[in-house]
Amino acid sequence: MRRLLRGSLVLLASSAMLLTACSSGSSGDGTSNPSEKVELTYWSWATNMDKTVQVWNDSHPNIHVTVNKQDGGDPAVTKLLTAVKAGSGAPDLMQAEYQAIPTMVAAGALADIKADLGPDVQKQFSPGVWSAVTLGTAAVYAVPQDSGPMMFYYRDDIFQKYGLTVPTTWDEYAATARKLHAADPKAFLGTFSATDPGWFVGLTQQNGASWWGIDGDKWSVSIDSEQSRKVAGYWGGLVQEGVIDNTPMYTPGWNAALNNGTQVGWLSAVWAPGVLAGSAETTVGKWKVAPMPQWNSGAPATGNWGGSSTAVTAQSQHKAAAAQFAAWINTDPAAVKALATVSSVYPADTAASAAVLTSPPAYFANQPDFYSVVSKVASTANPFTYGPNTNVAYSAYNDAFGPAAQAKSQAGFLTALTRMQDVTLQDLKSTGFSTN
Amino acid sequence: MRIMATGTTKPSTGSRRTAPYVFVAPAVVLFTLSIAIPIGYAVYLSLRTVKVSGLGLGQGARSETWAGLTNYARSLTDTDFLTSVGRVVLYGAIVIPMMLGLALLFALLLDTDRVSARGFSRVVIFLPFAVPAVISSLLWGFLYLPSVSPFTFVATAVGITAPQPLAPNLVLFAIANIAVWGGTGFNMIVLYTSLRSIPTELRDAARLDGANELQIALRIKVPIIIPSLVMTSIFSLIATLQVFAEPTVLRPLTNTISTSWSPLMTIYRDAFTRDDIYSAAATSVVLATATFVLSFGFLRVVQARAFAQETR
Amino acid sequence: MTVTALEPPARTASAPTARSRPGRPNLLGTLVLLIGALYCLIPVIWVLTAATKSGAELFSTFTYAPSTHLWDNILNLSAYRDGLFWRWALNTVFYAGVGGVLSTVVSAMAGYGLAKFRFRGRAALFNAILAGVLVPGVILAVPQYLLFAQVGLTNSYAGVLLPSIISPYGIYLARIYVSAAVPDEVLESARTDGAGEARVFRSIVMPMMAPGLVTIFLFQFVAIWNNFLLPYVMLGDDRLFPLTVGLSGLLNQGAGQPALYTSVITGALLSIVPLVALFLLLQRFWRVDIAAGAVKS
Repeated sequence: MRRLLRGSLVLLASSAMLLTACSSGSSGDGTSNPSEKVELTYWSWATNMDKTVQVWNDSHPNIHVTVNKQDGGDPAVTKLLTAVKAGSGAPDLMQAEYQAIPTMVAAGALADIKADLGPDVQKQFSPGVWSAVTLGTAAVYAVPQDSGPMMFYYRDDIFQKYGLTVPTTWDEYAATARKLHAADPKAFLGTFSATDPGWFVGLTQQNGASWWGIDGDKWSVSIDSEQSRKVAGYWGGLVQEGVIDNTPMYTPGWNAALNNGTQVGWLSAVWAPGVLAGSAETTVGKWKVAPMPQWNSGAPATGNWGGSSTAVTAQSQHKAAAAQFAAWINTDPAAVKALATVSSVYPADTAASAAVLTSPPAYFANQPDFYSVVSKVASTANPFTYGPNTNVAYSAYNDAFGPAAQAKSQAGFLTALTRMQDVTLQDLKSTGFSTN
Repeated sequence: MRIMATGTTKPSTGSRRTAPYVFVAPAVVLFTLSIAIPIGYAVYLSLRTVKVSGLGLGQGARSETWAGLTNYARSLTDTDFLTSVGRVVLYGAIVIPMMLGLALLFALLLDTDRVSARGFSRVVIFLPFAVPAVISSLLWGFLYLPSVSPFTFVATAVGITAPQPLAPNLVLFAIANIAVWGGTGFNMIVLYTSLRSIPTELRDAARLDGANELQIALRIKVPIIIPSLVMTSIFSLIATLQVFAEPTVLRPLTNTISTSWSPLMTIYRDAFTRDDIYSAAATSVVLATATFVLSFGFLRVVQARAFAQETR
Repeated sequence: MTVTALEPPARTASAPTARSRPGRPNLLGTLVLLIGALYCLIPVIWVLTAATKSGAELFSTFTYAPSTHLWDNILNLSAYRDGLFWRWALNTVFYAGVGGVLSTVVSAMAGYGLAKFRFRGRAALFNAILAGVLVPGVILAVPQYLLFAQVGLTNSYAGVLLPSIISPYGIYLARIYVSAAVPDEVLESARTDGAGEARVFRSIVMPMMAPGLVTIFLFQFVAIWNNFLLPYVMLGDDRLFPLTVGLSGLLNQGAGQPALYTSVITGALLSIVPLVALFLLLQRFWRVDIAAGAVKS
């Protein structure tokens, strides 16, 4: 009997030892002696971010940064918020999409690094971008990294084949879509993607919508505003008419359509060449970019799709070192160059990136003025405020617009917008945020 | 306390008394750590909520408080959740009869001497069990795409329009198909094992009475393996209520699967996307309770059968 | 009375008279069985052929048309972030192998304790374990994560391994197997001969239920191998990922980088090969008697 007892104890003890040996604790000890080597972890999903970070590691022997590659923006936020709830497990640095910053700040996930940043950092960025990392408060929650001004990408060869001209207004865009679809019933000028809320945000932002707002100490929600309704109704009409597709973007089917020429245009952001290079590699040299079609051609505007910043988490034991890194990677000329060329993002530090981005991306070698189009467009992005429950609004977008797009119903698009408004406002209220 | 063995007068009675506790100790410890405490914690969380003050920005703007049963009230009146329950009931009504029907059919055929290719078929039909649900959903997801699907390819070749499996009226069947594909083989093996333990004399006797294979199957074999059928039904029912991986993997491919398609997806969305772990915990408890109500009664009946001989 | 009580009763020796009666081959039955096999092979053959296609061929050539890029695809997959895929494969083997062995031992001990002893709390324990069979994993994963975070076990091998060791289903099966395969008389006579409880368990019970233990091991091995949610929630560092989580991440990235689709498909193929091999090697142990286990011949 004693042997049995001993046996099972040995089993438990040895498995416990095995487990202890396997666990890889990574938390810092909290001291911040500048001469000691500091280890920082950095969650990011940008392409080749580890190689960009290598530039830092080579020149900063005392602060070593390790990149943990993430699946994407949403999964990373999910993990960070769970780690915050658990009280441990967060990285020191986090790639944070602008739309997720209010959510993360509200969850207490991000540190205010205003005191750790030099006064010069702010000067590198446009006021619109900077407000996205301060949320209009006195704090600074992140350093802007890249932005995603939206533009119109199109298949130049197919436009020529059917004698189409590049639309400069949304009326022209609709007419072009009809003309193309009539010429080739399999072809579409674009698709309405019910799985990409960030894309729809950019479209409404172009028309002056801002889904959230801070009004004193209260949040307001205006997803269902006139500006948004105009955009939703416009797309609902085109989908109902059948001249715009309803296949979600970023699916194997959509990728195939980009390749075989049945998706002839794409309203996308400055980072699109990287995506096209992967999704439509067989059509290289056939695409061109133009500014977005306009609602009011007298006042050209655009919206942003995506864009992210580098934030320091509240759990970090080395906030000063992390803030130093966040400022470096987004403003140092060598770092900005690596961001633009190695990680293929459009740096938010426009002055530094203009010095680097002189030749077009490889995929757009046929359009030498690519970046001059971009810089002209980038400054016309309308301001937009995200809210503390952007994630709720985004999943409501998926759920409300999915059936509407599938049913190809213009009325359904407008109902979907109202439903998003209701779900988002109700969620803010039930969590206890002050709202009007 | 009664020790099972009777009539022994061995000196090691003390050891016999403590032995069972030592044997079950590792399981009890691990069960407590990995299952019991987390369940307790989930129940605790389901009674809590977070309250935000003002704009909710900055440290200390949110605090956790008791919520009473409000999370439960919200779950039970949440139309998204109730719709997902209804959808999954329909889904189960397709999957369970299909899967178990096929499993029973294949098991009976495997147990029929004059059927050929039995060894090959048994292995191949069981094969999907080795494919993780995430991977099988990925594979079927590709096969459902018009640009990949062999059915579209063939249909186009003969000039007809193939139905789109991910269209709104078919997506339920598309997901059900993945579950049937993944589950039939396992259930077939379970039923086949039961069939193999039927004494040979029974069927020989029936055969001598002039019964054909179909009659033997329906009148002798099926009634004997009813306990196994009940068990497989219960496990299938549980798996059905928990359907998660298949719709989650397919969702980005289509407009037709919402983030609250199944109850577990609703729970996942609340816990992770919406960062409302408290509502998610309440919904989890509701779902777990429903699972118990549906299956525990059955299980007890079957357990009584299965262990009847041992406890006698 | 014998270990083979778990195996189907050997029919070959008994009653050959009726059995060997010559009959027509059952063509319809064979056909139905083969159609079932074909259905099960649809995605399997596709992943075999798709893994040989280049990215462009994936969406353009006929579904089942093979190509010649398998080796390129494997090289591409291996090159992804310095061979991360193979690290996922090793992690998976580690989680499933170590977790499966520990789980089998724990289940065997508990199953034996529950089947062959009467003790206070036995019924309660068994009911708790049955209830454990019914609890959905997604309900456990989040609280498990939050609790493990308190003791610093998240984002570690232990965070995934520890919850994988306890398997209510394994214990349930072990109890059935012990009841069926280990007669009380054998235990009694061993005890009469002076064997201690540990020795009885190790030298008599374990060998007698060995085939059942293999089944439990295979079950748990497959369950851990296929598990997605627990490691997904528990792990942040992708060097600790198992294959399911790693491949699903690759698939998500593939949305914006379709070159990864072929890697995902090749990875899917490579990840099911070991399990299929395991199945073929050990197929005689797949005798899952979940209800009628106590029927003795």
